[in-house]
Amino acid sequence: MSNPEYIVEMKHITKRFPGLTANDDVTIQIKKGEIYALLGENGAGKSTLMSVLFGMYEPDEGEIFIRGEKVKIESPRQATKLGIGMVHQHFRLVSNYTVAENIILGSEPQNKLMGFIPRVNIKKANEDIAGLSEKYGLKVDPTAVISDLSVSAQQRVEILKMLYRDAEILIFDEPTAVLTPQEIEYLLDIIRGLRDNGKTIIIITHKLEEIKSIADRCAILNRGKLISILDVKEASTAEMARLMVGREVSFSSGKTEAKPGEVVLKVEDLKVNNDVGYEAVKGVSFEIRSGEIFALAGVSGNGQNELADAIAGLKKCKSGKITLCGKDITDLSIRKRTEEGIAYIPEDRQSVGLVMGFCLSDNIVLKKYYKDGFSSHTVLDRKAIEKNGERLIEEYDIRSSRGNKTITSSMSGGNQQKAIIAREIDLKTPLIIFMQPTRGLDIGAISNIHKQMIAERDRGAAVLLISLELDEIMDCADTIGVIFDGKINRIAKASELSINEVGRFMMGVEEGGRSA
Amino acid sequence: MKKILVKLLGGEKLQMMRISLFAILLSLIVGTVIFLVIGKSPLAAYTNLLQGSGLFPKAQYAGRQSMFTDFMSFLDALTPMIFAALAVAVAFRAGMFNIGVSGMMLAAGFAASVTVGQSAMAAPLAKPLVLVIGIIAGALVGALIGWLKYRFNINEVVSSIMINYTLMYIFSFYLNSFMIDPVSRQSKAVTDASRLTLPAVQAFGLRFNIPLAFPLAVIAALIMWFILNRTTIGYEIKAVGLGKGAARYAGISIPKNIVLAMTISGALSGIAGVAYFCGYNASIQPGVIPSMGFNAIAVALLGNADPIGCIFASILITILSKGSIYMSSQQGVDIEMADLITAVILIFAACAEFIKMYVGKISMENKKEVQKQ
Repeated sequence: MSNPEYIVEMKHITKRFPGLTANDDVTIQIKKGEIYALLGENGAGKSTLMSVLFGMYEPDEGEIFIRGEKVKIESPRQATKLGIGMVHQHFRLVSNYTVAENIILGSEPQNKLMGFIPRVNIKKANEDIAGLSEKYGLKVDPTAVISDLSVSAQQRVEILKMLYRDAEILIFDEPTAVLTPQEIEYLLDIIRGLRDNGKTIIIITHKLEEIKSIADRCAILNRGKLISILDVKEASTAEMARLMVGREVSFSSGKTEAKPGEVVLKVEDLKVNNDVGYEAVKGVSFEIRSGEIFALAGVSGNGQNELADAIAGLKKCKSGKITLCGKDITDLSIRKRTEEGIAYIPEDRQSVGLVMGFCLSDNIVLKKYYKDGFSSHTVLDRKAIEKNGERLIEEYDIRSSRGNKTITSSMSGGNQQKAIIAREIDLKTPLIIFMQPTRGLDIGAISNIHKQMIAERDRGAAVLLISLELDEIMDCADTIGVIFDGKINRIAKASELSINEVGRFMMGVEEGGRSA
Repeated sequence: MKKILVKLLGGEKLQMMRISLFAILLSLIVGTVIFLVIGKSPLAAYTNLLQGSGLFPKAQYAGRQSMFTDFMSFLDALTPMIFAALAVAVAFRAGMFNIGVSGMMLAAGFAASVTVGQSAMAAPLAKPLVLVIGIIAGALVGALIGWLKYRFNINEVVSSIMINYTLMYIFSFYLNSFMIDPVSRQSKAVTDASRLTLPAVQAFGLRFNIPLAFPLAVIAALIMWFILNRTTIGYEIKAVGLGKGAARYAGISIPKNIVLAMTISGALSGIAGVAYFCGYNASIQPGVIPSMGFNAIAVALLGNADPIGCIFASILITILSKGSIYMSSQQGVDIEMADLITAVILIFAACAEFIKMYVGKISMENKKEVQKQ
């Protein structure tokens, strides 16, 4: 059964991946000409649901109706034929082609040279695209080369790509994640313009203020389940935030009361630029004491990466001061900081945390290989390295096919993470930074890591936990800081904050439900 | 078929070595087909290759010649090849593609030829000095390429190709202007005292060459193996080559290791250069970049960028290049045939990584099928 009022209907969609149900019986119905938002935390299943609609995944159960007709969407090509377009989070453009060449790729207008040789009519393409960009207010020069364009201009090319193929249903996957505030405003205007031209828009986001500003309706997903569908005009941001994160705490780590001691890490008015030179950390101050887990909560991309990298020395500070155990380390090299006492479990375990082509024992000794006991006069002591590997493999239950000799890239993600954690904890430093330590791991591994983190705290280490998972923050933290848009807007004892309050601060919503 | 492949080439243990051997086998099969197509006996042709390299006795020898003569001449050609392959391998390990080995060889050969090579210095002094000059000249060019990369982020492939040509033209200009032998159109030959090969030694009723640097090549390979596998220097170079992000995170300096690896690579190229221009040859041909530096890339690939592997890969390629002259005369085929076989081997060697991926893929598929059943 279908209702002709709806242009898209996804009914009882279930999509399972090994070890996880990404979408669990989700039903959404979208009206023609509305802006429909999908809201949820990282890993809530928003992107999976849209990938199903765009034909990239086949659902295990459920039906899809487009314009009232039941369809089976098996490929993005077929989705395009049905008038569905998608702007992915990571753009899919050929960087040394022009704007027009990218847009027409796969459906090039042709004319016949001398009556029989087919060739691409780039002139017509340029004219068509100029016309389209005029019509929808998407400023781009069709003859510009992609690699010369800014991120926001590239995004406009992606939008034009959909429009060129006469897409009526436009899906945006976190379109604002890569944009500056001004660019976001501009994009939201464009999206409104598209709606006014009769397009139907689905936008995936976890930013409440954007939803409030443009969406008509909003579906909230949590752990693959549809929680609620709200009329945005009538819902408050506070309510949306509560629905987005609100749930029972899944398991508790059973930790004892913290016994904070001396200040170990002190960060004062720290400012850090991100890779593209945009200020990502905008003046952050906090301190962590020994025997304390300081958890930094926040939605991804609010400056957490840059902050952690700056403390560990991987990124330069723009201004501000970092003090470790009373010593100014702001200008020290990465290795000096490690020796002063920082262990760092980075977010990107494959390209930062480990040398993937090294064998396991070489990775386990990555931060100590040059020290006495592992080498003398630059000659490595292979026996000591093997022994060190064996000890930690045993102690941390790192599983692999060939023990010490296993090439790290052939190990599972969970065991790779175990190897990093083993190596870092074994440094026995006064400060340990855990950046997203449990991302992508199963429940058992997660609870193990939490136990190790707490054991480190009890040993007297200062622990900085940066996580996108609110459950993890609530379970492990002694003190919670909430970072939003490069600033910490709340620091409080964990016992004084409820999960909903933290969720609100994460969204930049201040007390009373006002959007920041 | 697929199952056999997985059995032979799957698994981690010595996998790259097995794949290299497999690549050689494939190329020999292709070579066999080529010989059959042109109506020659592949077995005879392959035997000729070995005979030409002094690894298998010929039917008859000219006066003062024997299998030993051929073998010494083979070692003479092998020596610079091993050094050149080691040079490429070290750069590979640091994640760099050193196409500049030829230019570095020229720099070393030139520097040694115009100085010690033209002097009246006695052998005990001249020979070590040639070696030292070669090492320094090569290392300087290598360090320059490494420095350009880290200081200005100039891709080493681009800078080394440019430097190859720049050096070649400068040296050609100098040699043509001041040091040309009007008969041979080559540079004036270096003195025998300064040559790293003892030419035309007469003993046991034979006349042969003694490549003095050959033992050094084997020692250099062993030292490089030790540095790469048993020292912190090698550990850091490999970390930088395999994962720059992780190396940086571990506090390893990327610029330092890039410059260091290129300097070592340059020093090895330098020895290759003097072993080639003041050893195997005694002069430099103006206007020519030695192709050995480019072949060395393929040799290092075939040897998995492993120093010991480089020795064996160098032996194989030198057999082909040395033996091909004899083969072409015996079989009446063009010398290009040997080049063709060499090329086929190199193509398959370059596919090693692909073969590894392919085996990985089909072994995954096999596992899945087993699970389904």
